[in-house]
Amino acid sequence: MIRRTFLHAATLCFLAAVAIPASGRAATTATTTQDAQTFIQRLAHEAITTVADSQLSDAERDDHFRRLFVSSFDIPEIGRFVLSRYWRTATPDQQQNFLKLFEDINVLTWAQRFKDYHGETLETLGATKDGDRGWIVDSRITRKQGPPIPVQWRIRQSDDGSFRVVDIIVEGVSMAITYRSDYAAAMQSSGGRVDSLLAAMRKKIDQLKAAG
Amino acid sequence: MAYSFVEPPWFFGLGCVTEISAPSFGVEACDFRISHRSQPSGQMMSLKALQKVGVRVTLASAALLLAGCATPPPDDDPEAKAEFEQLNDPLEPTNRVIFEFNDMLDVYFLRPVAQGYRAILPKFGRDRVADFLDNLKMPLYFTNNLLQGNPSLAGVTIERFVLNSTFGVAGLMDVATPLGLPGNKPDLGQTFGVWGIGEGPYLVLPLMGPSNPRDAVGLGIEAVADPLDYYLANNEMNWVLWTRFGISGISQREAYLDALDDVKRTSLDYYSAMRSLYRQRRNAQINEADNPGQTVVPSPDNHIDIPKIK
Repeated sequence: MIRRTFLHAATLCFLAAVAIPASGRAATTATTTQDAQTFIQRLAHEAITTVADSQLSDAERDDHFRRLFVSSFDIPEIGRFVLSRYWRTATPDQQQNFLKLFEDINVLTWAQRFKDYHGETLETLGATKDGDRGWIVDSRITRKQGPPIPVQWRIRQSDDGSFRVVDIIVEGVSMAITYRSDYAAAMQSSGGRVDSLLAAMRKKIDQLKAAG
Repeated sequence: MAYSFVEPPWFFGLGCVTEISAPSFGVEACDFRISHRSQPSGQMMSLKALQKVGVRVTLASAALLLAGCATPPPDDDPEAKAEFEQLNDPLEPTNRVIFEFNDMLDVYFLRPVAQGYRAILPKFGRDRVADFLDNLKMPLYFTNNLLQGNPSLAGVTIERFVLNSTFGVAGLMDVATPLGLPGNKPDLGQTFGVWGIGEGPYLVLPLMGPSNPRDAVGLGIEAVADPLDYYLANNEMNWVLWTRFGISGISQREAYLDALDDVKRTSLDYYSAMRSLYRQRRNAQINEADNPGQTVVPSPDNHIDIPKIK
């Protein structure tokens, strides 16, 4: 088992070494379906190897997750979408605070979710173009028991050619849209004040930390 | 109101619903009538239980009356108004009261029972229970397959039933799935959706949770149309019927233990997160039934007002 994980990791590093410069170059030309899929495969594999690495302490693991999340998710874009109309009324300071807290909540949430990891694997099935520089990568998570779970990744390519995730759609449920409804409601119950939302987010972070 | 004729005993008719399907709704549309049946078809309930239910219904009614309908934002705030209409939850204050009630019931009763069930029965046993209960729903699945205009899927449902009821030992083992005949679990609300019937305003049903008029009607009809339940009720075997209902509830709650814990733990507003999840999931299920084999990705572009910076 350990050897297999190691083999996977080694293969992956090799793939990553080949794939990253390739996608970098591709920025000047056109990206292919394969680039988009490779990005998701690599992301899933890195997440899984982080979880599977029993050498890591909890703090180190959280740190790995944070780096992985920040480098592969377009947090500002997702954050703007989640705050929607309140983004414009927020001061630049509030916007930055919001993005930071949003990042914290996501890192804690995903770290917790991955604690329930039971050997699931992710397999990409294809990718379709989504706007100018976007792709939707179709994938499924295979479990030891039960039917596979369909997951779509909405990703966007930035000017330097790197990809970033802007949404994850699990069984037809969009993470970004759910966050947005949730946060809009939290905003409204606090009278539409951004500072109250930030306070609620800080409280949530404390709860997540205490539970983790 | 569309669903008063299928009103199960525990279900309150909500007067607000009548006019909400109209494109614009003001507070005046929200005249509040609560027409609950004070006499549930009583043969399976003792008088004492009935009294208890009565008290609870009265309390709930009072709470609902106090809560009432949501006030739409003023016309001079078009963004807030657009958001309000998109949320399509004019009964929000009422829904929240019922949601709180359901959550309390869940925290102190349903969830602990589901946890106990998980602790007592290993995964293998729980799967057998779930497979057995699922197999019993074949007539409803079959009917919905046909109503959704998918006879080949209806054929699969029959094949599954035959295989699972025989080789699968009375449905205890789902042997059909490994043989390449995976199950599908259509329901009547989904069928209505496939027919193009809109969901209507969001509703939280007591005990049953997130819903809407379309799905509530579906739920109500399925509750009385299930042939097995019908047979049981007509042959003095109500205890079997209620046992099935109870075990299904526990089995389903157990299946959602981790998912619901996750939503509750990570959301800022549990109610709104559940509302969004329910809507999106239902739409996805209807899309799936409507375009088998195709995945329809929900687009954030369909949602109002995405600030574009860059």
